[in-house]
Amino acid sequence: MDTWVRVDALNGFVVAAIGLFFALTLVYSAGFMKGKQKNGQYYIYVILTAAASVLAVVSNNLLLLLVCWGFLGFTLYLLINMGDVDTGQTAKKTLIIVGGSDALMLFGIGLIYKITGSFQMDKINIPLTHHYLSLATIAYLCLAIACFAKAGAVPFHSWIPDCAKKAPIPVTAFLPASLDKLLGVYLLARISLNLFAMNGAMNILLMLIGAFTIISAVMMALIQHNMKKLLGYHAVSQVGYMVLGIGTGNPIGIAGGLFHMLNHAVYKTCLFFTAGNVEYRAHTAELDKLGGLAGLMPLTYIAAVIASLSISGVPPFNGFVSKWMVYQGLVQKVTMTPGHQVTSVVAVLCLAAALFGSALTLASFMKLIHAAFLGQAVSSQPKSGSLEVPAVMWFPAVLLAAVCVLFGVFAQAIPLKYFIMPAIPGVNFSGQWYATLSTALVIIGLILGALLFKLKAVKPVFRRDASYTGSETAALQYNETNRVTGTEFYNTIKEYGILKGIYKRAEAGFFDIYEQGKAFVFGIGRFFQYLHNGVLPTYLVWTLLGMIVLFFTLVK
Amino acid sequence: MMILFNYLIFPGFLFAATVGLIAGWVDRKVTARIQWRKGPPWYQNFVDIVKLTGKETILPEGAGITFLLAPYLGLLCVVLAATILGMTLIFPSAGFTGDLIVILYLLVIPAIAMMIGAAASGNPLASVGASREMKLVLAYELPFLLSVITVIIKSQGAIRLGSVIVHQAASGPNIGSISGISAFIVCILCMQAKLGLVPFDSSEAEQEIMGGTLIEYSGLPLAIFRLTKAVLLYTTPLFLIILFWAGNLSAGSIIWKYIALLVIIILIKNTSPRVRIDQALGFFWGKAAILAAAAVILALAGK
Repeated sequence: MDTWVRVDALNGFVVAAIGLFFALTLVYSAGFMKGKQKNGQYYIYVILTAAASVLAVVSNNLLLLLVCWGFLGFTLYLLINMGDVDTGQTAKKTLIIVGGSDALMLFGIGLIYKITGSFQMDKINIPLTHHYLSLATIAYLCLAIACFAKAGAVPFHSWIPDCAKKAPIPVTAFLPASLDKLLGVYLLARISLNLFAMNGAMNILLMLIGAFTIISAVMMALIQHNMKKLLGYHAVSQVGYMVLGIGTGNPIGIAGGLFHMLNHAVYKTCLFFTAGNVEYRAHTAELDKLGGLAGLMPLTYIAAVIASLSISGVPPFNGFVSKWMVYQGLVQKVTMTPGHQVTSVVAVLCLAAALFGSALTLASFMKLIHAAFLGQAVSSQPKSGSLEVPAVMWFPAVLLAAVCVLFGVFAQAIPLKYFIMPAIPGVNFSGQWYATLSTALVIIGLILGALLFKLKAVKPVFRRDASYTGSETAALQYNETNRVTGTEFYNTIKEYGILKGIYKRAEAGFFDIYEQGKAFVFGIGRFFQYLHNGVLPTYLVWTLLGMIVLFFTLVK
Repeated sequence: MMILFNYLIFPGFLFAATVGLIAGWVDRKVTARIQWRKGPPWYQNFVDIVKLTGKETILPEGAGITFLLAPYLGLLCVVLAATILGMTLIFPSAGFTGDLIVILYLLVIPAIAMMIGAAASGNPLASVGASREMKLVLAYELPFLLSVITVIIKSQGAIRLGSVIVHQAASGPNIGSISGISAFIVCILCMQAKLGLVPFDSSEAEQEIMGGTLIEYSGLPLAIFRLTKAVLLYTTPLFLIILFWAGNLSAGSIIWKYIALLVIIILIKNTSPRVRIDQALGFFWGKAAILAAAAVILALAGK
């Protein structure tokens, strides 16, 4: 029997996650969007987005999926336009990339119908042959590109950093950071696990795209000066881990990829909320104009630190668990494929990229934490007191930070058991890392450390003193113009050897598929423009030439 | 209770710190002899720690709880790593799948603690130190990870330390092969940077940025950072012994291997000048990474 919708273990938890982020975004928007114009429209678009997302996820019919998917691109366009300053270009770019990939998806679905004669997702299972140009392979690639554009894998990522910079924060937190990831990676998992039977070549392709996404996007994040744009590049980079996990093709890797999708949505939404809080108070998201906010916005700061460590994959937070599962999947891939030298080599390459990607992520978040929350304060800021945002704004961030800890420390007991394991049968989870025990030990150690302070006095008093450099107070020597902000942390890397040239090209939009596409289209246009210049003699020449050609062909 | 004992006494905090402080004394003594000085008595490092705990703790203006919390987190995480490694040596079957990766991450946390603490102090020179520390981490992580991947490949994809040990016990230590020895050499260089010793000590560089990351620390928090360094000096060589040199794991054999690595560390420290951060980056991403990548390829080829 034909059914329009179907809920199974794979999309069940995605729906639950969409619900959570929808609710949190509404709460956050109540603070952030207060008093903004077009507020009514904004909430309507958010609600429509959530509804269409749920429908797209539970849809069992490819056409229904396509319609919801396309509709989401449209609401994204409208939501980006809610921003205050010149959002038009960004919204257009987003619409063209996402919409263009939707067209490919339509083509892919058409091919699926030609192969199987059905739109029912639970009835389709197409084996991918080893023939590279078969219809099945093309159909798979078309759908995969739609997923990549939605989730933001390289090279279809370029709309996300722009969108993160220009669109209002709740929109970025809701769509590119959480919902679009959930949708894109969910569909990638669905087509890779259910609709198609993967072959080795496709797995290798996915893994390479994943590894490349991780490294290239995080290298760009390293040199950003804008807090929101930096987070935007990380929203791209983390997709790499998910694609990589699914690309391994073994249960533990796929489970890791899906768990990473969930974790990413949690900590990245949290990070965008904290960025929003900072912008709300400091009226800027430029890192070199921020500093020393930790004492003034303690709750936002704590949430930001936890989420930063989470995204860098530091134990015991949630990001570590899912990355660790992806690594395990990759290691299995290296060893369990005897006779496939290519697969082993690619898996080793991806393992190195994934591990090193974590270090790079950590680096760029050290910069963010230093520049925004620690370091030297901006002189226009009050020295003490509180700048904390209203409760509706800090609460979602703190709640999500708590989820980061919870999903990390009790990974086995809660998220993996209820959300991930039912979706992926056959995960062989031999042994586990004692997250709960280790955390308990560290906490006991902290208590002992606090007792050490108490040994000296029941309520220890610390002398406060200004910081000195070269026997003068630092404040005297390092003022607004020459203080160490943190944005210059990685200039050494930016100027290092071959990277210098790559960075220069990347900043000029050389690797942006949108810019390249634009150049291509305008190039064609310019050719016709050149022909069509409005000068009568030119037209006469063309007419004459045309007649000559016509005569020749007719006479011959 | 047993676990708490393992964590705090043996092979965790107390044991690791003692060994580390004594190793630190060996380093000071040898350095002193090289420079024609007499050098301190063996208990000097212990006395230093006790002295520091008695001193006043000064908080720089604007620094909050993060400034005090960061040293503790660094120490506790590296002690956790020391405990896991120690338990693995005593009971090779006791580990869990993936403890290798957990150790990798735990060994980065002291550096993170150092950076966060430095950034929290609000001192510009501390910020400079933190940025150098992070760039150094980026520099040495790449060849270090490649070397660890070499070990993973050589032990048939084991990411459990116990299996790495068992595999070496059965078929000879990893440094017996070309790929193993190359990766081991790279790891020794990375260890030097991980421990923040000359030539890779630019994040603390007393002569130019006055202690850099540590500039604002005093009293108990400074003592904690010193202890962290000491535990690292015990943990990192032990980790390398397990990864590359674990053919025979009797207590005596571990001790002489540890001493051998310590001698190498001290030799490098006393014979090289401090390098700039871009030189370190060029060295680790260039020569060291190429050697490590060659080790990976050789390991894949079964050499």
